[in-house]
Amino acid sequence: MEIKSILKELTKENGASGYEHNVSQILANHLRKYCDDVQVDKLGSVIGRKKGSNPSRKILITAHYDEIGLLVTSIDKEGFIRFTKIGGIDPKILLATEVVIHGKNSIPGVIGAKPPHLLSPEDRNKTMGLQDLYIDTGMNYEEITQYVSIGDYITFKPVSLELKSNYFSSKALDNRCSFASMLVALEELKNLKHECDIYFAATVQEEIGLTGGITVSYNIDPDMAIVVDVCHGDMPDVPKEVTFPCGKGPAIAVGPVLNKKFTNKLIDKAKYENIKYQIDVEPGGTGTEAWATQVSRCGIPTVLISIPLRYMHTAVETLNITDLTETGKLIARFAASLTDEDFEKKEEIPAWICKF
Amino acid sequence: MYELLNRLTQTFGVSGNEEPIRELIINEIKDKVDEIKTDALGNLIALKKGNADAQNHKKFMIAAHMDEIGVIATHIDDKGYIRFSNIGGVSPYTSIGQKVEFKNGITGVVSYEQKLDDIKNLKLSKMYIDIGTKSREETEKFVKIGDTACFCGSFVKQGDFAISKAMDNRAGCAVATEVINILSKTGTDNDIYFVFTVQEELGLRGAKTAAYQIMPDYAIAVDVTRTGDTPESHIMEVKLGEGPAIKIKDSSILCHPAVKSLLEAAAKRANIPYQYEILEGGGTDVGAIHTTGGGVPSGAVSIPTRYIHSPTEMISLKDLENAAKLVAEAVR
Repeated sequence: MEIKSILKELTKENGASGYEHNVSQILANHLRKYCDDVQVDKLGSVIGRKKGSNPSRKILITAHYDEIGLLVTSIDKEGFIRFTKIGGIDPKILLATEVVIHGKNSIPGVIGAKPPHLLSPEDRNKTMGLQDLYIDTGMNYEEITQYVSIGDYITFKPVSLELKSNYFSSKALDNRCSFASMLVALEELKNLKHECDIYFAATVQEEIGLTGGITVSYNIDPDMAIVVDVCHGDMPDVPKEVTFPCGKGPAIAVGPVLNKKFTNKLIDKAKYENIKYQIDVEPGGTGTEAWATQVSRCGIPTVLISIPLRYMHTAVETLNITDLTETGKLIARFAASLTDEDFEKKEEIPAWICKF
Repeated sequence: MYELLNRLTQTFGVSGNEEPIRELIINEIKDKVDEIKTDALGNLIALKKGNADAQNHKKFMIAAHMDEIGVIATHIDDKGYIRFSNIGGVSPYTSIGQKVEFKNGITGVVSYEQKLDDIKNLKLSKMYIDIGTKSREETEKFVKIGDTACFCGSFVKQGDFAISKAMDNRAGCAVATEVINILSKTGTDNDIYFVFTVQEELGLRGAKTAAYQIMPDYAIAVDVTRTGDTPESHIMEVKLGEGPAIKIKDSSILCHPAVKSLLEAAAKRANIPYQYEILEGGGTDVGAIHTTGGGVPSGAVSIPTRYIHSPTEMISLKDLENAAKLVAEAVR
């Protein structure tokens, strides 16, 4: 499995939150190589099922596949485009980036702003806000309005870079890298027996409100869920408590909103299999789909595994490939190890609580 | 009732670690209810059966969250000091000089970096817990990262007032328990589901899954609310000792008029003093319950409480007893 070429393929296509359709078939094709059945649901989440030997239990593994982006809000008389955000983007990182506008055609553009030479001394020390930035496509108003209209979405120009020491950089690694780790897991599972049915779900619209995570966990109604996402990698001048060194393995989340029993089993499994891992203390909301899956329906025991990622929500998100492959290995071995006895006794909602 | 409240407030139950408080409540109510169960998330659900043949037989859900705010260890330094984060709303200022207790009984002191130039810049990230150890290795014998601790605040009864940690929301748990006691004597036409919920302080999480299972006809939350009767406080009509408060709105819900009227009528019928609550900031379990499924008409009875989210939360015991009487009268 050539993981770097898969990452390139996955991050190259554009799929901002709500506009994931260009990516969904690529993911579905990958899943079809391994799964017994694959479907794209009504909102666009891609779900593959790998049947187990004793399918009385369902494990759901989710990784969102939407990426952050921008949205055209107006086009001025000279043809410059103003925009707003889809998901969390710091305007500071936008200046001088290359983007693609997804109108009738895909139109390349650059994000510009008033140059420092022409700024007043007071303004020179201020950071640029969204209102100061615009996209230049080279086209004038008449030309551009033939291709682009208000409401079209915009993504970073896809450029992936293989860095030294097994590091890799691209846009959209949040969270296509987690999908890649699922493929690693599926590859591993070829050689592992597993009792439970395992659902691999690539979900939509996480960046704008966990939408796919909410609907997929409701539809599949699993016995437990494993959410795979990214966490902040180590960077200069950032406190150690909020970052995780790249190359030291996935971060396993512990905290009040995660299931203790399965989290402990996951940690034990990592130790047993000699897979490097780190502990990620989450005091409240995790900012991931785990927040939604845990309270779906009657409550779903949920664990969270994160891949350390530097420069999150930029066009140059950077990770160490080892963390991705280790994550895949851990998910596969953990999911394969779960048997009926690891779950709470299976019971319907008792009739005295509800008869529906 | 205060003896029960004493035990409830002093038992450990930080959000996500509600096991000890749940055990206590199970022991308290199991012989007085018809059914009892702990669900997947840890909510305790108990049913007091009504008379299915009664006219207008309804299904009520009474929700009282049993979790309390606290802290979680995030990092242990070389000298053994523990860095921490908050579980639920924890103010750095009220945390200074407090004692915290981990689930295993280990007690620590909360203090802050002495180099801090201005107390206005105090953040939890500049604070630490000292358990009196000398090294990381020694601390790790007692506390590991991810462990949670509650604030210490002993129970004091003084006249009608009681002070303790975790009045939010063991006061509500005491009320729900007392409602069970009252209904055991009076009986009830309606089916009453008592839910002691988990993870309210993290965003009304337990209530959501519990309501999904029960899908009641009506829901009533029993929780604490702020007051406007302390020096230079925010403007709020609720006062300590003036009776339980019938919630009109908070930031999580605008209460359903049917439930509000039901509570008003019950208070008048049983001659129970009450006041109205409009809480500008903060929410409670019915905020999650009322949008569950196709919607659940919901309201709340609140216990006026001063100094919420501090180790010295203060309530009136009279309000507490009246809250129980009010809820019991309204639902039975």
